[in-house]
Amino acid sequence: MTRCLLFKLQRCLFLVGILLTAAGCATTQTRAAVDDNDPLEPANRVFFNVTDTLDKHLLKPIAESYVEVTPLPVRTSITNFFNNLTYLNVILNDFLQGKFNQGITDILRFTYNSTFGIAGLFDVATPIGMPANDEDFGQTLATWGVGQGAYLYLPFFGPDTVRDATDRVPSSLLNPFFYLSNIVMLPVNALSLINTRARLLEATNFLDEVALDPYSFTREAFLQQRESLIYDGNPPDAGFDDIFGDTGDTDTDSDGSGTLRIE
Amino acid sequence: MLLRKKDQPLLSAVLFIGMIFCSCSLRAEAVSEQAIQAPVKALHATLLDIMQTVATKNFQERYDIMEATVVEHFNFTLIAKVVLGRYWKTLDDTSRTDFISLFKRLTIATYVDRFDSFNGEHFNNLAIEKMKKNRFMVKTEFIKTNHSPVSFNYIVQNDDAKWQIVSIIANGINDLALKRADYAAVIKNHGFATLTTRLEEKINAVHKNAINNN
Repeated sequence: MTRCLLFKLQRCLFLVGILLTAAGCATTQTRAAVDDNDPLEPANRVFFNVTDTLDKHLLKPIAESYVEVTPLPVRTSITNFFNNLTYLNVILNDFLQGKFNQGITDILRFTYNSTFGIAGLFDVATPIGMPANDEDFGQTLATWGVGQGAYLYLPFFGPDTVRDATDRVPSSLLNPFFYLSNIVMLPVNALSLINTRARLLEATNFLDEVALDPYSFTREAFLQQRESLIYDGNPPDAGFDDIFGDTGDTDTDSDGSGTLRIE
Repeated sequence: MLLRKKDQPLLSAVLFIGMIFCSCSLRAEAVSEQAIQAPVKALHATLLDIMQTVATKNFQERYDIMEATVVEHFNFTLIAKVVLGRYWKTLDDTSRTDFISLFKRLTIATYVDRFDSFNGEHFNNLAIEKMKKNRFMVKTEFIKTNHSPVSFNYIVQNDDAKWQIVSIIANGINDLALKRADYAAVIKNHGFATLTTRLEEKINAVHKNAINNN
């Protein structure tokens, strides 16, 4: 057990070392270089296609069946439970970003949901004015001025960037389940995965409906959503003006990617 | 410096004219706020209308209602230029017109398909913010029962003395930038002809899906 834990820890630290080095390199890039934010596109597309194929033939059908047989209140409680487990990471990043009031409120939220909410199965904190916040280590690095680095599509994990992928380390270490054995964790992780996939069914159906190039669509949506999260849902309006070009019209030679990046 | 007595009537006249201009300007500001919000309010009213009439009107009838609003209140020429970016310049007039038509049909069909039920939803107007040139951002939110509010921000632009929607940002995601990246990838990898073919396929798929659901 201890050996297994040490191995997990070693693997995490190795990963964070590589990613932080890469993210550090990214901050030295020029704006123009960062705009071209998908230098790994050929490999990313391969991983995207493999993951998409597996998803369509395996995970999505399981998630659809799960939705059919599991009542909504049960699914909501399962979502609440897993969200509550990951909330220690939110609290840590509140303080790392200097959001002290929010951090204290989030400690209260976590305590309240873990006790009165029966181990987080019920979100009793939101109705009394303590809504969930969404913070992670990628956002913390962004507020510290670290550039996002290259876009990554990690096999089976989905879209990410070099900077944001570093969150996998603190979020794992701060999740109590990380310290349990793999035998216990296997069914728990499977349930978490299926439940998460079920929550994304509507979004992926929308993607299938409107995207002409699902890879590019996913990348752009992910990067914009990350940008929005970094600014707590209020990115500067100026970023949305840039797409029109300086002339107030459209005489821009952009190739259409990274039009809203605010580095 | 002291004013000469004979200059005083001139000064009074200048001050009077200045006051008239100021009051006109204030009035224009008040009027323009209404005008700026008008296309957004019209869109929201139509969306709520088609949501509430799902049971009594079929897809095509709701499509026709949506089309009238969208054509009136969206600047599709500008939207198409922005979405296609540098590829716009390489197209002839016929290709441009065809693309605008396809884009318009897909926009309308997607709206009608997505806003297809009503459970007491409503929109709240939050703020108006000045952007560059002749553009404003109209900030609103969409309230659904038992859901977190969805932020819908609209960029409206004044062209030819008419305010029209040129971009929509839903929960921080800019629809214009999303489509621009999506379409650019198709044009870059497969060419413009494939883009129009895929748009046509998407439109047909939405119509087929809607008819099956009816």
